Amino acid sequence: MKIVVCIKQVPETTNVKIDEKTKNIDRRGLGGVINSYDLHALKTALEIKQAVGGEVITLTMGPDDFAVSLRETLALGADSSVLLSDRAFAGADTLATGYVLGKAIKKIADVDLVILGQQSVDADTGQVGPIMAELLQVPQVTYANEVTVKNDHLVIKRNLDNVAQEITAQLPLLLTVTDTINQPEYTNVVEIAKSFAKTITTWHASDLQLDDDRVGQAGSPTIVRSISSPEKTVKVGHKLADNPVDAAKELVTALKKQNILAEDD
Amino acid sequence: MAVINENWVFVETDLQKINPVTYQLLTKMKQISHDPVVAVLIEKSDASLETELAEYGPDKILLIKDDELVDGDDLELTDALNKLIQKQGTPNTFIFPATVVGRSVAPRLQAWLRTGLTADCLDLKFEGDLLIQTKPSYGDNIMCEITIPNNHPQMATARPNVFAAEKQTNSNLKVEEIENLDWEKDSKLVIKSQLLPPKTTDDITQAERIVALGRGDKTDAGITVANNLAKKLHATVGVTRPLTDLDQYTVNEQIGQSGQTVAPDLLVNLGVSGAVQYTAGIANAKVVVSVNTDEHAQIFKYSDYYFVGNALEFSRALEAIL
Ligand SMILES: Cc1cc2nc3c(=O)[nH]c(=O)nc-3n(C[C@H](O)[C@H](O)[C@H](O)COP(=O)(O)OP(=O)(O)OC[C@H]3O[C@@H](n4cnc5c(N)ncnc54)[C@H](O)[C@@H]3O)c2cc1C
Ligand SMILES: Nc1ncnc2c1ncn2[C@@H]1O[C@H](COP(=O)(O)O)[C@@H](O)[C@H]1O
Repeated sequence: MKIVVCIKQVPETTNVKIDEKTKNIDRRGLGGVINSYDLHALKTALEIKQAVGGEVITLTMGPDDFAVSLRETLALGADSSVLLSDRAFAGADTLATGYVLGKAIKKIADVDLVILGQQSVDADTGQVGPIMAELLQVPQVTYANEVTVKNDHLVIKRNLDNVAQEITAQLPLLLTVTDTINQPEYTNVVEIAKSFAKTITTWHASDLQLDDDRVGQAGSPTIVRSISSPEKTVKVGHKLADNPVDAAKELVTALKKQNILAEDD
Repeated sequence: MAVINENWVFVETDLQKINPVTYQLLTKMKQISHDPVVAVLIEKSDASLETELAEYGPDKILLIKDDELVDGDDLELTDALNKLIQKQGTPNTFIFPATVVGRSVAPRLQAWLRTGLTADCLDLKFEGDLLIQTKPSYGDNIMCEITIPNNHPQMATARPNVFAAEKQTNSNLKVEEIENLDWEKDSKLVIKSQLLPPKTTDDITQAERIVALGRGDKTDAGITVANNLAKKLHATVGVTRPLTDLDQYTVNEQIGQSGQTVAPDLLVNLGVSGAVQYTAGIANAKVVVSVNTDEHAQIFKYSDYYFVGNALEFSRALEAIL
């Protein structure tokens, strides 16, 4: 089975601040790591490969330093990697990202299964997967909790709000996975050393036969108007009496006045 | 394609029941929209969910009665919604709930229509016909205002329990039944659905009153008193993440970024520090009361009333006078 796993490199922590001067997100000193959900996607792919054979290719769109994350996926067991890097891709929203990734899947050719994380922890959208599935015209199963291979099809479990689903899916298919599907492993020095025998191929815009107005900023219908830190929810609270009994009485009186508590509460 | 002056809301049904998030989105859109608000409902041929839906005041219901489409996969639903737009015209906006279903179907439709979609909005407002969408990023640490100025429909998914649902009658309601959508069947997926067993504890996302336990009250006595207090208040018990180590609490009771978003009228925090991952889940609580021994506790910044002192003593005193 030929499996492609899409991975994104994200900042090490999501505890970012806004630079007061530039009004941009201050990412100084923040290293990059593989989006945690994508490690679950990779593990899912490696388990399927172990069960039925095949190859696992990892794919990312981003600047050249995302190669570090691809190298890590090779150390974790992927067979080869593709980096999509071009100045023209900068400023892409989910639609433009899904478009370029989808074109790369077509170029890789004969892909049976595409696996993504349920969402990236920086953008938090979970949209890239369904967008790719639509552009590739393949069915999708999102938020998978469990995947098993049976003969030529997959059996997948997922949950909606109040509903559990069991889905039998033929290939080709696009899958996104939650973080409860498996337990990703960590890599080690030996595997990282060995990974240098595997290849990372870089493709630029010119390698993918792209429609210019569908990539990067030009291909992105959404515009970020402003960003802010959500400090504005902060309230100026009323300090209750120091003695717990008085404090409790004070509170109940105040809450009854506001009809938050009923008279007979 | 011509843009019509309508704002559409996708009605999520889970096994033939309307997901309450739909009512929240309808109420919000009614509040902010100067154009008709249209609910898109897909149901079985013998169902009449439109009666319930009408109680929340939509101006129009686009009704698709189709026994197969009700259980359609994402590919089929996308195709059907696309055909609906071809038939009716492109609405100015199209809003979905940020549930598993909404977050799966909306981006597929977006890709087909080549328009923009903003995920997981916490607020929506209009400037003229332009929808201003407020979306959290970086695990709720950053808020972005996003617009889709040049494409239609302007699409968004909006997070459950952020907007309050309010009933209202609309005497001008039109129900328009759509026939012969001719959506394309997909035989590649076979889906078996079953209702999840009812949650063992009260559903915290629906609770009107919550007593939330943090690590500062994580003792046997603290938990017992908090549960008694909750009973007296007719409140549901919620917890911070450290308490999910205990057998009796799971992610279903956990409040916050990796737990549940809650919207009670009254929230009492006992021994909760107020980490950003926790407060991300309580932004829509109306009145917040917090008890903490640390007078500089972060949680006080999110509280309407606070008591500096021992959670156990305070809960005992409060329980005694209720
Ligand atoms: C990616 C990620 C996601 C997370 N998601 C969540 C989430 O969804 N929900 C969540 O809750 N956490 C989440 N966390 C964890 C979060 O960062 C905090 O660690 C957690 O909320 C702290 O819980 P706490 O307030 O109960 O405990 P603590 O931070 O230990 O606070 C205990 C408080 O109790 C006070 N105290 C001590 N003794 C007493 C007493 N006798 N009476 C009164 N007060 C007392 C202390 O002063 C202190 O303020 C997440 C973390 C990460 C990294
Ligand atoms: N630039 C990218 N390169 C490769 N994969 C990506 C990229 N952005 C997002 N993805 C994949 O899409 C998933 C959902 O991301 P998002 O839609 O940004 O929340 C991630 O878990 C990744 O698997």
